[in-house]
Amino acid sequence: MSEPIRIAVTINGQRVRGAVEPRLLLSDFLREDAGLTGTHVGCEHGVCGACTVLLDGEAVRSCLLFAVQVDGHCVETVEGLASGGALHPLQAAFRDAHALQCGFCTPGVLLTLIPFLRDNPDPAEADIREALSGNLCRCTGYANMIDAVRRVVRSEGGS
Amino acid sequence: MIVEGVYVFTAPPAVVFEALLDPGVIAKSMPGTKELVAVGPHEYRGKMMVGVGPVTAAEFDLRIVLTELTPPVSFLMSVDGTGRFGFTKGQARVSLEPDGTGTRMNYNADLQVGGKIAAVGQRLLDVVSRAMLRSGLEALGKEVEDRLRGVGGKA
Amino acid sequence: MTAPAWVGRSVPRNEDARLLTGRALFVDDVQLPGMLHAAFLRSDHAHARLVRIDAAAARARAGVRAVYTAEDLGDYWQRAPLLVPPPPVPGLVFNEATQVPLARTKVRHCGEPLAMVVAESRYLAEDALADITVELEALPAVTDLDAALGADAPLIHEELGTNLAAHCIQRKGDWAAARAWADLLIARKFRYDRGASAAIENRGVVAQWDRRAEELTIWDTTQAPIPIRNGLAAMLGLRESQVRVVAPFIGGGFGPKIMMFYPDELLIPWAAMRLGRPVKWIEDRQENFYATTQERLQLHDAELAVTRDGKILGVRDTFLHDTGAYDPYGLTIPINTQCTLLGPYEVPNYESEFTVVFTNRPIVTPVRGAGRQHGVFVMERLLDFAARELGIDVVEIRRRNYIPPDKFPYDHGILFQDSAPLTYDSGNYEPVLREAADRIGFTEFRRTGQATARADGKRLGLGIVSYIEGTGIGPYEGARVTVEPSGSIRVATGVGTQGQGHFTTFAQIVADALGVHPEQVDVSTGDTRSFGWGTGTFASRGIVVAGTACHEAALLVRAKALKLAAEMLEAAEGDLQLADGRISVRGSPGDAVSLAQLAITANPLRGAVKPGTEPGLEATAYFGPARGNAANGVHAMIVEVDPDTMMVKILRYVVVHDAGKVIHPVIVEGQIQGGVAHGIGNCFYEQLVWDDNGQLLNASLMDYLLPTALDVPTVEITHRETPSPLNPLGVKGVGEAGAIPTGAAFAQAVEDALAGTGIEILEIPLSPSRLFALVQEAERTHRR
Repeated sequence: MSEPIRIAVTINGQRVRGAVEPRLLLSDFLREDAGLTGTHVGCEHGVCGACTVLLDGEAVRSCLLFAVQVDGHCVETVEGLASGGALHPLQAAFRDAHALQCGFCTPGVLLTLIPFLRDNPDPAEADIREALSGNLCRCTGYANMIDAVRRVVRSEGGS
Repeated sequence: MIVEGVYVFTAPPAVVFEALLDPGVIAKSMPGTKELVAVGPHEYRGKMMVGVGPVTAAEFDLRIVLTELTPPVSFLMSVDGTGRFGFTKGQARVSLEPDGTGTRMNYNADLQVGGKIAAVGQRLLDVVSRAMLRSGLEALGKEVEDRLRGVGGKA
Repeated sequence: MTAPAWVGRSVPRNEDARLLTGRALFVDDVQLPGMLHAAFLRSDHAHARLVRIDAAAARARAGVRAVYTAEDLGDYWQRAPLLVPPPPVPGLVFNEATQVPLARTKVRHCGEPLAMVVAESRYLAEDALADITVELEALPAVTDLDAALGADAPLIHEELGTNLAAHCIQRKGDWAAARAWADLLIARKFRYDRGASAAIENRGVVAQWDRRAEELTIWDTTQAPIPIRNGLAAMLGLRESQVRVVAPFIGGGFGPKIMMFYPDELLIPWAAMRLGRPVKWIEDRQENFYATTQERLQLHDAELAVTRDGKILGVRDTFLHDTGAYDPYGLTIPINTQCTLLGPYEVPNYESEFTVVFTNRPIVTPVRGAGRQHGVFVMERLLDFAARELGIDVVEIRRRNYIPPDKFPYDHGILFQDSAPLTYDSGNYEPVLREAADRIGFTEFRRTGQATARADGKRLGLGIVSYIEGTGIGPYEGARVTVEPSGSIRVATGVGTQGQGHFTTFAQIVADALGVHPEQVDVSTGDTRSFGWGTGTFASRGIVVAGTACHEAALLVRAKALKLAAEMLEAAEGDLQLADGRISVRGSPGDAVSLAQLAITANPLRGAVKPGTEPGLEATAYFGPARGNAANGVHAMIVEVDPDTMMVKILRYVVVHDAGKVIHPVIVEGQIQGGVAHGIGNCFYEQLVWDDNGQLLNASLMDYLLPTALDVPTVEITHRETPSPLNPLGVKGVGEAGAIPTGAAFAQAVEDALAGTGIEILEIPLSPSRLFALVQEAERTHRR
């Protein structure tokens, strides 16, 4: 067994330190070491997208990264979206559009959409579907997720 | 999974046949084989490392038995590999015939693959087995060449 | 009452804020001090004798706390109980063979557990798996259903002397006569293949034994916490009251999470008690393909006898059903197939015979649809072929055979999965069909649309199919409704929730009865400590059975509140009204008392009460329907098939369905949209591929394709409401509806798009390469 490696990661704006094995997945570091269980693990091979988080602002699969790889970087998880008691507009739109049922894939979907909407403020339906195509959902059939995105785009006046 | 083909050696059948029975040569002809020792007449045990796509460095405990030996014409090789990532089981029929001053080797193997390697490595099994076969045959060819020239040792 | 009714409105869900912010607890989120982690060593062989297993090296590894094999379980090693005894069909043969916790003498499917390692972390536990030496003597695997029944087939359960798990014939009328009288006989063989339920959350169990309180707490991704508690208490020698099972938020159920007792469910609590530390096991995705049940393979040989007007005289269906290596769930699936085949039609003569076969593959238990899709596929396809030969259109042939609306309740004369006679409670099928045909533009499509597209080189096809979904079966569920001193309402029921919105829909039902806002109603599901009687969420019954229990309990609370308020306000009960959480005298709004005050008054700390009074405002009610009810619907789709790549694109998908009273329209639509997505997956993207040795060749999401946002269209949904007379709310279930007729619709549509090639679609799933092969085969046959 290897010596633990010291890492320091900024997660949702807070510095989190740890001493981890090189092989510890980022998803496990977030869920167990940092206690942030909002990021879910669905497949551990990078297909389902449930474990999606932001690494320095870009969407990544936390099951395909090692915790040591994000030493010194910024990670954002679903727990960082709402501020104070208020839901993030995308979260509110998901609630209003019934875009979640069991909620297990939802954090990954939200974190996928955040950079997508940042870079595509007025997307067409085909673009939204393509952006979502890396997130598997077994409950909703996706239709309401697309609706939720449209609501956010509409309410933000397309920006 | 069927693996079959032909390979031509420059050495005559008797030399090739003797080489094929040598565990040192067998080990070289199966890439990733770490050790292969005789545990009985024409029975060998060893270890082999294989990588198939996402399943890297899978270690197998190998057991090889040679039967139906008809020198210098043919034999049957049974392979049994078990490891943490799955298993492989199969039989290869090898037959030799003269080809000018050299030897034409026909091989025909039926391999069963199971466990994790079969479950996630399917689309690569073909590619990987062909790559292994290619480098295995190249190594085999070199070994036989060396023997012919009297270079290198028997294992 | 002036407050608006909540039932029938799409209110925001009570549970969403927690789910959206990552605060909802799923089983893998449970973290306890000192918690250990388990991993299972699983068989790589589908059929093998277990010669030797040696865990000494694994036990010696640093960080490993225990390794268990079958031998280590001692008396605890036992076969799991049979969950569903077969219904009393005369002449039925059933061979019981349930699963074992760890293989003892042989393994019967790939992935069957051989040993359990418990270590300080999952990583260490998996490392230790490699230290265990296992000697398995491979046996020939049984994978082909026909061959499995052959005289020299290897036996999976030697003690049974056969690979036959069950044989059942249900008859109605006289099929032979119907056959003789028919103007046209359609005979075909069909194949419907296996798929995984593939919930995004894999299964998991966490167990904690509190030595001081002598209490066992288990978190389990189960759809049936109460039966799990009862069974485990019995097996572990504990009182039911010592065991608490919590099914917290569950990331999708779909059926396999109601299967019990999985080996892990038996072993994790046992290990936690022995080791004195909490133990967690979370399934990984690869394990899920073997360690969680799946469904679908059936082979049908069916015949339809019709008159020249397309009226059904009778159906004969003989089929083989693959149950996998064990049969703990009895005959639920094939009986569903038998019954659902009859659909919304009058079928005067019926003979259905099935044989259930053991194979060396993972266990089969219900997955969304639970055998209904097979029945629908067979009947709808037979009708399609009859329609073609008779020159009747596919809509008309269905309309002609529908059970007319004045014939309900309609008894089909055979037994359903709840062992009661298959009787449809209510239905009005023709308007559903007409509406679906209108919405998809059937007439226009047939008249010009399709031909115009053809001229442009586009192969468009239309499929329109009809189905019945039996829902809302018993035995019963219960609910307790309590008004708390704060005025908020607490509801507890025994079913679990896996995304279908019980926290909201049950709240709506109770809110209506008690004149409050659904947000004030806190619903607890899936916790045996909150409510200990019930059977679980399955077979589309949650809202029907548990929802009705909530309704009944709320009405009892309402009655108590009105009685007490009448005393307090010195008014007649008839003069009182309940709205906005307050009871007031009609016409005198100042004379009022809140539910909160009533709750406090009803629970005095001192003084005397009238004999026979119950404290507080609380009531418990149970509901057990006389039998299941029948929801129905029509699915219609238009597809475009690329003649070169055989890629199928769904252009439109319409669902007109009738599930009785709709409690929450958007939630119901979500269930249908999700069900259709599941159905599309089953039809065209998902297939579990096995080789002849029982090896699964695609045990990952890279190769087992779940449909994505690019593959599932937005379904156009219309609700119709023919209430069920079997419960006071008039509701029927809808959880599985979307997934049931998709195969039949897909087949009809794709065949229609490829008309002219001579292709007949008799199997599900399809794929571009399979369609290509079928077209080639059809063209070859035509040329001969």
